[in-house]
Amino acid sequence: MKHIVGLDEPGKRVILQGNEAFARGAVEAGVQVATGYPGTPSSEIMETLSLVAKDLGFHAEWSVNEKVALDVAVGSAMVGARTIVTMKNAGTNWVMDMFSTVVYRGLPGPLVIVSADDPDAFYSSTEEDTRFLAKGVGVMILEPSTQQEAKDMTKAAFEYSERFELPVFVRSVTRISHSSGDVTFGEMRKDRNPVFFDRHYKLPFRFNVYGPFKYKGKAGPTAKHAWQLERLEEIKDFVNSVPFNRIEEGESDLGIIASGMGYSYVKDALMKLGAEGKPWILKVGTPFPLPENLLKEFVSKVSKILVVEEGDPFIEEQVYVFLKDFALEKPVFGKLKNRALLRYGELGITQVVNAVANYLGIHPPEVPEERRKLKEELVKILAPRSSALCPGCQHLGTYWGLRFALLKLTAKYKQEWKGVWIVNGDIGCYEQGGYGIFAKEITPSEDKASKRYMISNPYEILDTNYIMGGGIGVAQGQYQAGYRDGPIVAVAGDSTFFHACMPAVANAVYNKAAITFIVMDNSWTAMTGHQPSPTSGVTAMMEPAKKMRIEDIAKALGVEHVWTVDPYNLKETEEAILQAMETAYLKKVPTLVVARRECALQVTRRALRSGVELERFVVDQDKCIGCTLCVQLGCPAVGWDKKRKKAFIDPVLCVGCGLCAQTCPVKAIRPSGKGVKLYEVK
Amino acid sequence: MGGKNYYLMIAGVGGQGSVLLSRIIGDAALRKGLSVRIGETFGAAQRGGAVHSHVRIGEEVYGPLLMEDEAGALLALEPLEGLRRGLTYLKPDSIVVINTRKVFPIDVNVGAAEYPDVDAIIDALKKLGGSVVAHDFTELAGKAGTTRSMNVAVLGAYARLIEGRETPFTKEDLLEAVKGRVPRRWLEANLKAFQLGYEVADKALKEG
Repeated sequence: MKHIVGLDEPGKRVILQGNEAFARGAVEAGVQVATGYPGTPSSEIMETLSLVAKDLGFHAEWSVNEKVALDVAVGSAMVGARTIVTMKNAGTNWVMDMFSTVVYRGLPGPLVIVSADDPDAFYSSTEEDTRFLAKGVGVMILEPSTQQEAKDMTKAAFEYSERFELPVFVRSVTRISHSSGDVTFGEMRKDRNPVFFDRHYKLPFRFNVYGPFKYKGKAGPTAKHAWQLERLEEIKDFVNSVPFNRIEEGESDLGIIASGMGYSYVKDALMKLGAEGKPWILKVGTPFPLPENLLKEFVSKVSKILVVEEGDPFIEEQVYVFLKDFALEKPVFGKLKNRALLRYGELGITQVVNAVANYLGIHPPEVPEERRKLKEELVKILAPRSSALCPGCQHLGTYWGLRFALLKLTAKYKQEWKGVWIVNGDIGCYEQGGYGIFAKEITPSEDKASKRYMISNPYEILDTNYIMGGGIGVAQGQYQAGYRDGPIVAVAGDSTFFHACMPAVANAVYNKAAITFIVMDNSWTAMTGHQPSPTSGVTAMMEPAKKMRIEDIAKALGVEHVWTVDPYNLKETEEAILQAMETAYLKKVPTLVVARRECALQVTRRALRSGVELERFVVDQDKCIGCTLCVQLGCPAVGWDKKRKKAFIDPVLCVGCGLCAQTCPVKAIRPSGKGVKLYEVK
Repeated sequence: MGGKNYYLMIAGVGGQGSVLLSRIIGDAALRKGLSVRIGETFGAAQRGGAVHSHVRIGEEVYGPLLMEDEAGALLALEPLEGLRRGLTYLKPDSIVVINTRKVFPIDVNVGAAEYPDVDAIIDALKKLGGSVVAHDFTELAGKAGTTRSMNVAVLGAYARLIEGRETPFTKEDLLEAVKGRVPRRWLEANLKAFQLGYEVADKALKEG
């Protein structure tokens, strides 16, 4: 067994990361099909499942995007199989078309959708709370408070989904998914659902939205909607009896409604405050629908209510509606009007301790004034650590080439252009091209005029970045609106290309957008942990797969001018990008560059596994003229000795890609001569 | 407040093995029948970003996060990151193991920030109440066979520092946990790194 979650050892106690716990829950439920698209903090669920899929005899796949993952999952549950699909918050936005449609009439097999939100946006472009999306389509939501519950709820979600023949939504957050805790294994279901197809199973025309299903005097989608709303009433009743919802008795007039991580923080807070058993607690495991019978009982015991939940005031809003409905007048404190807790950022333990202490009328622990002052003094020497690309990252080469191609081309056409290029980014490791340098201060300008900014490292090269596949579309809009002050470029990775860029490439060709698209193909979905992509040549279950070529697809989509380069060759890369941008300008058509080189991390890992020692590069301190060009490459292994005004290379970090040596005008950087060259690792 | 719970902070940069280290410590606690929570944020980068792990151990623990001034121990795999987390989380009268091998942030490399003097970092952690053992554990791990066992060398030093203190586990528990987590081919080097780390701390304690 390649992962502990596949072991049939009920009662075994292990430390599992939250995402591993979700995977174990699916394993215990006897999952038959698992799909998903990588997205931090959700990726390890599918990653774990894919490791045990072969041994346990189920199908696990990385689909090309979340929408396809859900479509596949729907097909699987339609023929009866127990199915799970995983995604991060942004991915959940992608699935809404199918998600909002499939709930009309549901599916014979269980379908569990796990969505991992990211309060505080550790790894995400927003703090979006996806519970609203699930409530919007009217399905049951489960929200775990610990890793144990992550496992137990996932297992139960299969049961609930099969019972109501509707998808069940399991909402995780970073502090569940990316935290670890002790988990006790349960029984593994050995039976599997039969796989079958009957177009009129239980209900006529069940799987065809436009089928002439008649119900309550209506037909088609409206009738199906009526059917779903009836199921929702049954679910509302049912959630009063699920073990994840319960009342914990208290002895004060404060009632705390706590869900998910909020519940864990409340329990920890009460222990820290020595106030265990003081407030009443309604522990909510189903933020939608809320267990109304329990809520009624709970509200009758207390005179004020504090709602503690991670994300938006989702439960809190429902509590307001509930109280209004039953004409109950009790003050509610939370994230809405009363601002007991901040609506942005993660809850965190400190905030919850302070809120609970406040409403119980006790003093929270405080850092003594003297110590506070000491810290204010000591913090002054602290330096920030901006995120950076890895040592030897091939994207460093592509961004170097892009930077100099932009400078040279805008110099060549300085009569025609104002020299203000736009580089549109996308989601993946290369998004770090827009992270900037934290320690630098920026003053924004107010003029509505194009303005050129100089960049001295790869972390400042991206002008825009929004969503998966967004850059290539945004670039076209800039062009179609008549922007002509400089070249318009978009960049994206290989996995992102398959996820969402292909329709946008077709759009650029069809609508004649003269932009340049650079696809940075490193053969893996690297940022989320090196999941295979259609360029990897393997599937999630490590079966050999067709290795797709982005240049072939681009040509098939009608892109006439395509270059393929090795980003470890700086000259070649710069030249190709320059030609591509010039061709787009002169011929008024889209052009595309594929910068292909396998992720350096994957290569160095293989070297490590096979016991190969890699060659390192060194800076000849006598030859170095202190020009800082190599430092501007942005490789974390290339350092700058400020006192001596010389560059140096960290021998522990260096992987020997040789990019910095190519930037050196005086050939002061050379290989050590010992060890295997990175290029030669198989 | 907090009962007999034990809280620990691990700080480093991506790729240094802080996640494995937190799991080893978690396993050692699990062997004692205790509850464990480990909270991690990995940063966006696979390598080089700031990484830290909150470790909470006790009869009853729920969430993964430490509050300010709660860490009874700080294992700093990198000096700057040790200071960053120590400033927030270190408890007065705590123990600190710090690897003095610097990993420069890109901010420093491009000249936008200065890397603090490592002695100043050590001094700051002492002022915050830490009994500090500082050493180039990267170099030490190299002597044991691979610099990649630096995290376990730091753990070895920690295992010496907890002797005579109230902790949920002993040196032997930690060693057993190392054996359970480290891949077999690297085990010998890691056990040696653990021992070398232990000796460094032992020497430091004896020299006061």
